[in-house]
Amino acid sequence: MKRLVTMTINERTRDVAIAPHHTLLEVLRDDLGLRGAVEGCGVGVCGSCTVLIDDRPVSSCLMLATNAEGRTITTIEGVSRDGEFSPVQRAFLEQQAFQCGFCTPGMIMAVEGLLRANSKPGEAEIRDYLSGNLCRCGTYSAVIAAVRSVVAHRQPPATRDAASVGEPGLTATSSDQ
Amino acid sequence: MSVIGIDAPRVDGPAKVTGAAQYTADIVLPGMLHAKVLRSTMPHARLVRVDASAAEREFGVVTLTRDDLAGMDPFYGVVVKDQPIVAIDRVLFAGDVIAVVAAEARDIAEEALDLIEVEYEPLPAVTDSVAAMAEGAPVLHAARRTPQVTFSDMKSIHFQTDSNVCSTYHVERGDIQAGFDASDELFEDVYSLPMIQHGHIEPHASIAYWEPSGKLVIHTATQNPSVIRTQLADLFNLPETSVRVIVPYVGGGYGAKTYPKLEPIVAALSRKARRPVSLVISREEVFMTAVRHPAQVRIKTGVRRDGTLVARRVEAIYDTGAYADIGPRTAKNGGYSAGGPYRIENQDLTSYCVYTNKPPSGAFRGFGVPQVCWAYESQMDDIARRLRMDPVEIRRRNLIQENDLFITGDRLVSVGLEKCLDQVTKAIGWRGIESTRPIETGRLGFVRGLGIAVMIKSTMTPSNSAASVRLNADGSATLLTSSVEIGQGPHTSLAQIVAEAIGLPLERVSVTFPDTDFTPYDQSTSSSRTIFSMGHAARQAGIQIRDQLLEIASDQFEVAVDDLEIVDGVIRAKGAPTQSLTIPQAFAAHFGAAVGSLFGAFDYQTTGGLDPDTGKGSASAFWFLSAAGAEVEVDTRTGKIRVLHAVTSVDVGKAVNPRQCRLQNEGSMLTALGSTLFEEMLFDNGQPVNASFLDYMLPSMEDFPDTFTSMLVETPHPEGPHGAKGMGEAAVGPVAPAIGNAVANALGGVRLRALPLRPERVLDALTRRGVE
Repeated sequence: MKRLVTMTINERTRDVAIAPHHTLLEVLRDDLGLRGAVEGCGVGVCGSCTVLIDDRPVSSCLMLATNAEGRTITTIEGVSRDGEFSPVQRAFLEQQAFQCGFCTPGMIMAVEGLLRANSKPGEAEIRDYLSGNLCRCGTYSAVIAAVRSVVAHRQPPATRDAASVGEPGLTATSSDQ
Repeated sequence: MSVIGIDAPRVDGPAKVTGAAQYTADIVLPGMLHAKVLRSTMPHARLVRVDASAAEREFGVVTLTRDDLAGMDPFYGVVVKDQPIVAIDRVLFAGDVIAVVAAEARDIAEEALDLIEVEYEPLPAVTDSVAAMAEGAPVLHAARRTPQVTFSDMKSIHFQTDSNVCSTYHVERGDIQAGFDASDELFEDVYSLPMIQHGHIEPHASIAYWEPSGKLVIHTATQNPSVIRTQLADLFNLPETSVRVIVPYVGGGYGAKTYPKLEPIVAALSRKARRPVSLVISREEVFMTAVRHPAQVRIKTGVRRDGTLVARRVEAIYDTGAYADIGPRTAKNGGYSAGGPYRIENQDLTSYCVYTNKPPSGAFRGFGVPQVCWAYESQMDDIARRLRMDPVEIRRRNLIQENDLFITGDRLVSVGLEKCLDQVTKAIGWRGIESTRPIETGRLGFVRGLGIAVMIKSTMTPSNSAASVRLNADGSATLLTSSVEIGQGPHTSLAQIVAEAIGLPLERVSVTFPDTDFTPYDQSTSSSRTIFSMGHAARQAGIQIRDQLLEIASDQFEVAVDDLEIVDGVIRAKGAPTQSLTIPQAFAAHFGAAVGSLFGAFDYQTTGGLDPDTGKGSASAFWFLSAAGAEVEVDTRTGKIRVLHAVTSVDVGKAVNPRQCRLQNEGSMLTALGSTLFEEMLFDNGQPVNASFLDYMLPSMEDFPDTFTSMLVETPHPEGPHGAKGMGEAAVGPVAPAIGNAVANALGGVRLRALPLRPERVLDALTRRGVE
């Protein structure tokens, strides 16, 4: 027996008919066709099913979809706007912070969550926050570089000299110029 | 401008950062059913009864048991036909496939599994490879049936039939006993490595359906579509043209997705269901599907007082689990690599591939070499310590060199190992023998140490890769290839090679996904062979097209072909750029209008093979070499090891895309880091106890060292495209002994010989030293 649940997904509020025992991940993938979030472990450890709920990263494989009633959900599909990559996506492309790509949507959503909680995370905070997102291709260094480059780009030039931001030797990527 | 050796942005980037990249589990076909697997709860048992009739009576449920396979030979395997689609008379490990259920929804299939009745008669299980080799052990496979089509290098493997030893490999040179007798010092040790899992984040997934014509179509997360086609054609008695294997993006594999895994199951079940069947397994089941061979390595080495290695005998036992999979080749490759990248006059190397009642071990990044490398590189430091030599110096004294004969008889070319070692020692700040001493931290109980290690590995040989390139009239080209995009970036790097070969702008070349109806044969996306083998084929196919274009332009300009070139898609006379033809113009000149296609196709076969009696011949089309260095900090009160710095250097021949090479190499390093420090699959009486990511940890960003440096050396290989050779596995081997050596140096020579280097093992070793 399905239940109607109202939730806002990628800025669109909708009533979704949900089987009460289905996880949010199942509903996103099977009922809504949002297949960017994927299942890697089914126990909330690998992070590849990460979505944002009210701006905080959640393992959608662990959450019953009915618990999303009234919540605001952002998936990887909702990150780009008007066909433009988000700053995080652009940084992932510039730093080539992916290989097989299976963990990438979850990793990007975790980074989105990190930057919403902390606009200027340091290296230790980045590592700590993203330790719930596993990448077996070993792309962590590029992911860290991508996060740093987003942080570096965010500093308004009027208040801060771009070269002094972040770690010594970090060169800001130049695609925006 | 050349597009070889540049950090070309990956073409799969936009799809991967937006979540649009399609993996097998994302595919939904009309009428598709979802499958679930019933697995054995016993490590070894006779199947008295398997009754799926109650499940089958449920609405919309289709089941597959042994009863459905009557009338066909249900066994498959690329080396030994020993694995059935579903269990026939026995189950051979806890997790073995007994039955499969398909239904409209996954939860219905899951519930229907409970309706299947299984009656077991337990049989004695043997879960340790050494015990399995002992007399009186229950023999798991009484015969060794080989498939009709297998790989030619399997001819060099000895199959045994009267024990659990599936196969052996042996090679020797010189006189081992005379070598030991002539040695000043002897070292004899036993090293061991546990079972580990690949940890590819995308679980195995396959979808199959049968067309009304009788053609089998399968979408699958595999590393070798061509082999899957051969295996399924053999199983279902079809011509290969009636099996179509399509591979979308694959979410990592590292060997776990080589050779048949779920494909035979979905093919058989969809045939019965007459509907598409999708099977995506759970993480727990992934641990039952493919693992790395646990191994025991007995190594004895004789050295002269000056540090010259004189003699080495190695016996390596590879536990291949319940089914052979590719284990015989893994053990063979580990066998001949067990002497290491050293000139040793007297060697005697033997490897065994042994059946046990555990999940099937198969290909794993490094392919048999990390097991022996852990042994020979750990022992190398013990040798240096006893001889009071610098571990770097003793290696240099013995390293193989360009044009050396390897033990297999291969003449070694493109040997940049000394440069790799130089880079690594420099990067970790190695300062000779003093670097073998513990580094004080100033904090009570914490010590640090440095360590290094080196490695040599082969690639599967002989092997075939075919490529086909099609040039369109607008000057864009498509490379048709069965190489799999599994993260290593062939859609970009192979495009670079084709663009360079023809003379096109890089963005004008695209690379297909494998679809065996259209893309030619490729042996495997594994063994670090894609750039070397497929790259070679793609380059030659591209050159054929370039030559056709030059012929066309030669006729137009009345200029000799040799005086023409193609730059950025424009054909022109060298030194006289006024005479030029665009590709549409060339097509118009050739076809009468800017329509049609030009084709190029090339099948690259590497040659070689080993004599089954001597183990010698030609083992590998290229050899790859690498070095690793590590700095660790050990908490001597808890035994916990932290890797502060990890560095590797790999000889890649020529880096077609250097950034991707370094990144791929970081993957090897990270895998090695996890397996060195904590990864281990545990069993209790044959029952898996940690087959989940809750209990089996992969390295996360928190385990990531402070510095993690991946460096490249370029010693061009004469056969490789632009000199390139494989590198995708190169760093897995040496990282573990580099860390182990760093730990030993931190602890004043305390040697741990069993992986992983868990804290309690470190504490045990410290306690034992205290007692001694």
